[in-house]
Amino acid sequence: MFSLLKGLWEYFFRKDEYFVVILGLDNAGKTTFLETIKRRYISNYHGMPLEKISTTVGLNVGRIDVGVQRLVLWDLGGQQDLQTLWNEYYAECHGVVYMIDSCDRHALQISAETFNRVIHHADLDGAPLLILANKQDREDALPLTEVESAFDTSVESIGNRDCRIQRVSALRGEGVFEGIEWLAQRVKEKPNRPLKPVKS
Amino acid sequence: MGGVFSSLFSRLWGTKETRILILGLDGAGKTTILYRLQVGEVVTTIPTIGFNVETVTYKNLKFQVWDLGGQTSIRPYWRCYYSNTDAIIYVVDSCDRERIAISKSELVSMLEEEELKDAILLVFANKQDMEGAMSPSEVSTALGLSALKSRTWAIFKTSALKGDGLEEAMDWLTNTLTGGTGTGSS
Repeated sequence: MFSLLKGLWEYFFRKDEYFVVILGLDNAGKTTFLETIKRRYISNYHGMPLEKISTTVGLNVGRIDVGVQRLVLWDLGGQQDLQTLWNEYYAECHGVVYMIDSCDRHALQISAETFNRVIHHADLDGAPLLILANKQDREDALPLTEVESAFDTSVESIGNRDCRIQRVSALRGEGVFEGIEWLAQRVKEKPNRPLKPVKS
Repeated sequence: MGGVFSSLFSRLWGTKETRILILGLDGAGKTTILYRLQVGEVVTTIPTIGFNVETVTYKNLKFQVWDLGGQTSIRPYWRCYYSNTDAIIYVVDSCDRERIAISKSELVSMLEEEELKDAILLVFANKQDMEGAMSPSEVSTALGLSALKSRTWAIFKTSALKGDGLEEAMDWLTNTLTGGTGTGSS
């Protein structure tokens, strides 16, 4: 009897775990994005001051609960020689966040090429893509249309994946939550790989 | 129940010392790093049989740092020190290509320990002052760091002898530790 109740309990309160990688060139704002999200979704989380965030050389992990979903966010270092690590995380991920520094005009083309390489990876087939044009709080930020046009070449490769591009300011938290909630919704409706229930 | 109160008490008023373990194979430079952090100088070291423990203050944060001997015969005793560890500094001799595989297997078996589940990992690719040292990305590949999926980690190139890279690494460590639990798991 107990095990039946326990089973029911677990069935109703079960959380599924979804994995999301946060990619983009270095200094795009990936860690700031992650920290902003953690502050919003984790109660009692103080976090480090955003201005203290330095270059990531490895992995930052964030676990947040959006409704009944558990999202595990992997924020990977974006420097050239760390990009080789990215591939290792694709096989298990359900969704992708791609950050762009809207102020760095010179890196925009490189960012677009990197993005192209990312979405061509077979392990990411069908994974929804959230593209964020970051640093929109700054005056010298390129408008969304200009960022978009740099990514035009990728349109074909995106194919029929769910994809959304939007302007955000990770620093001020503008657009961040709409973005992550959209992604949470997308990975839930169309999971591209089997889910694991949360191990507590 | 008493435990609840005492932990609450220490959270409210206590200055909790962060507990850090420095691990790695013998000759990687663990003791040199410990004393570099504590007194800011290079001290002459001999192979550690047993452990060194020091309190290190860095930017107003107090760390209790344990440097455990790295020889094959004493590695099994590392596990005695795992409980309540907040962070692990894993030191690798970047020039020792022959033993990097052993270093990897020691790291992997250490990270499987339940007691270290929430500890964050900081890898020092040490001895960068020497010629032929592996780059941080080579070291991270050799250690298989990308297999870590639920742990916050970082790798820094360091030279304990010259003091390079230590400050950056400690900055990262303090920032990540003050950000609550590294992963922010609820």
